[in-house]
Amino acid sequence: MSEDLMLILASFGAVALFALGTPIFLVMGMWVLCAHLALDYSLANIGNGMFEGLNSFALLAAPLFILTGDLIAGGGIARRITDFTLALLGWLRGGLGMASLTACGIFAAISGSNSATTATIGSIVYPTMRDQNYGKGFSAATSSAGGCVGIIIPPSILFIIYGYLNDVPVSELFLAGIVPGMMMVLAMMTACWFVSRRNNYGVLSPFLFSKVVRTTPGVGLAVAAVLLVLWGIYSGAFSPTEAASITVFYCLFAGLFLTRELKLSKLPDILFRSALIIGIVVPLVAVSIMMQQMFAVIGVSRFVADVLGGIGIYEVVLIVCMASVLIAGTLLESVPLTILLAPILAPVAVGVGADPFHFAVVFMVGGAIGFITPPFGLNLFVASTITGVPYLSIARAVLPYLVALITTWIIIAVFPGLTLSMVRLAGLGGGGLTME
Amino acid sequence: MSALMKVLHWLDANLEKWILILAYVTCATIVFVEVIRRFFFGLQEAWSTTVPAYMFLWLTWLGCSYAVRLRVHLRFAEIRNRFPRIVRYWLMQMDYLLYIVFGLVVIYWSADLLDLQMTNESLVPGTDDLPAWWFYLATPVGWSLLLFRVGQCAVQDFLDLRRGDPLRSDGSLRQ
Repeated sequence: MSEDLMLILASFGAVALFALGTPIFLVMGMWVLCAHLALDYSLANIGNGMFEGLNSFALLAAPLFILTGDLIAGGGIARRITDFTLALLGWLRGGLGMASLTACGIFAAISGSNSATTATIGSIVYPTMRDQNYGKGFSAATSSAGGCVGIIIPPSILFIIYGYLNDVPVSELFLAGIVPGMMMVLAMMTACWFVSRRNNYGVLSPFLFSKVVRTTPGVGLAVAAVLLVLWGIYSGAFSPTEAASITVFYCLFAGLFLTRELKLSKLPDILFRSALIIGIVVPLVAVSIMMQQMFAVIGVSRFVADVLGGIGIYEVVLIVCMASVLIAGTLLESVPLTILLAPILAPVAVGVGADPFHFAVVFMVGGAIGFITPPFGLNLFVASTITGVPYLSIARAVLPYLVALITTWIIIAVFPGLTLSMVRLAGLGGGGLTME
Repeated sequence: MSALMKVLHWLDANLEKWILILAYVTCATIVFVEVIRRFFFGLQEAWSTTVPAYMFLWLTWLGCSYAVRLRVHLRFAEIRNRFPRIVRYWLMQMDYLLYIVFGLVVIYWSADLLDLQMTNESLVPGTDDLPAWWFYLATPVGWSLLLFRVGQCAVQDFLDLRRGDPLRSDGSLRQ
């Protein structure tokens, strides 16, 4: 059998396995194995990739930021965030929905993961949204969509992975994500307002200034963590990984001594839960890196680079890249999406004049939208698990949010100033800070 | 229940758990203590960036193994869940077979890498006496445990099928 035929068969096999529900990292692993056999490549590369591909201090930020998310949920800080946003926005039509979206934004600023944001905020606000007569699908869709800013508003696990693979400093990426992340929250709030007004969702509660004042200290705990990380990275005092460890201990302290909702006896379970998430996400990183290497060996990367590079027009290349990310995002999980596509697309885009940070953000916002696009929309699955609402009805109800996010995405892509302003403000950009 | 069964049940629930927790706490603490030491005293150990990164490997592969036991690895379940029970059963068995094929490749070749580290007596960068193979051990050990967990799932499914119980397809991380 020829090389090409084997590779084509392996690729069809992988798609079939994926559709039939085989775990994704296993499907990718099998494809990598077949590609090694087809190309007569040494299998020692696989043993090596499972270790050396992951051996990095920069990647270590991921487990720490995942732990942070679990600690603020377990320590009651996540609930304090929603209390505050509700006090602030509850008097508006659709106020509870908008409050959950804002809470997602604040949670995202401490934790670095989309699905964690959806799971945490979703399980807190979903019951209340149902009480206030929001539609089932729409309530679940709100936390699914809100979770999308988890990886855009810093810190972000996917920015860490993107930076690690493409040699872009993570600190700058974090800063570049701030404005786009906030725009996404605002756009989704607008969508929520429209939908709620049309369907008469929500119970309007009068605005009480005293309630806002009473809930402010609680949200202050979260804001302090955000400011600590941003200051540390902004001033160059510590790297993203170190910032992550500081947030972990801060959240631990706040949970144990300030909110006193975190019990030491609960700690092993929280750590164990985070460790399992590492065990789910990081193997995907390992196999994706090997798959990307195989793409390079086969010549996929060069082929795409030649075709896109041949076009040579910045706008067209950017549109093609965005379309690829959007389409791939409907099927791929975000980690493989980032690892497989970014090393192919980023050099081409930068080659035709895109700013590396701007392109990274455009790429990641597209990746974030992939979390709510069926058939494989991870946040939709997560929301379905925690609320019990069927996957397909969430997928339908998320449509208004999808429109809002795609519109924002286009605006972000058209105006690089939106992403670059914060990077420039910090006096960074190009070799300012490195990851380690 | 006999004492042996009790021990086995405890191991089943906790084997990976406590090593994972230990690795996690060590990672976070080393990074935290060292950034504080550098910030306030201008001191930092050379191994403070390498040892946690190596510990991370243990975290990854043991976590991966237990995630198999809990059936929480990411997958697209929408189509499979609509199939009749017996088809689902055989699809699950197919997954286990693939785990075994891929797992054996990973174990064989990562043991090769481990062997190299042991022969060369490599040290963890930044340390004087910490053997690197303590950490290279994570991949073969993690994957061996993973295959053991796969076997457990296969037996569990077989018993469920024979007893007519519902098949356990999706686990949950929520406790």
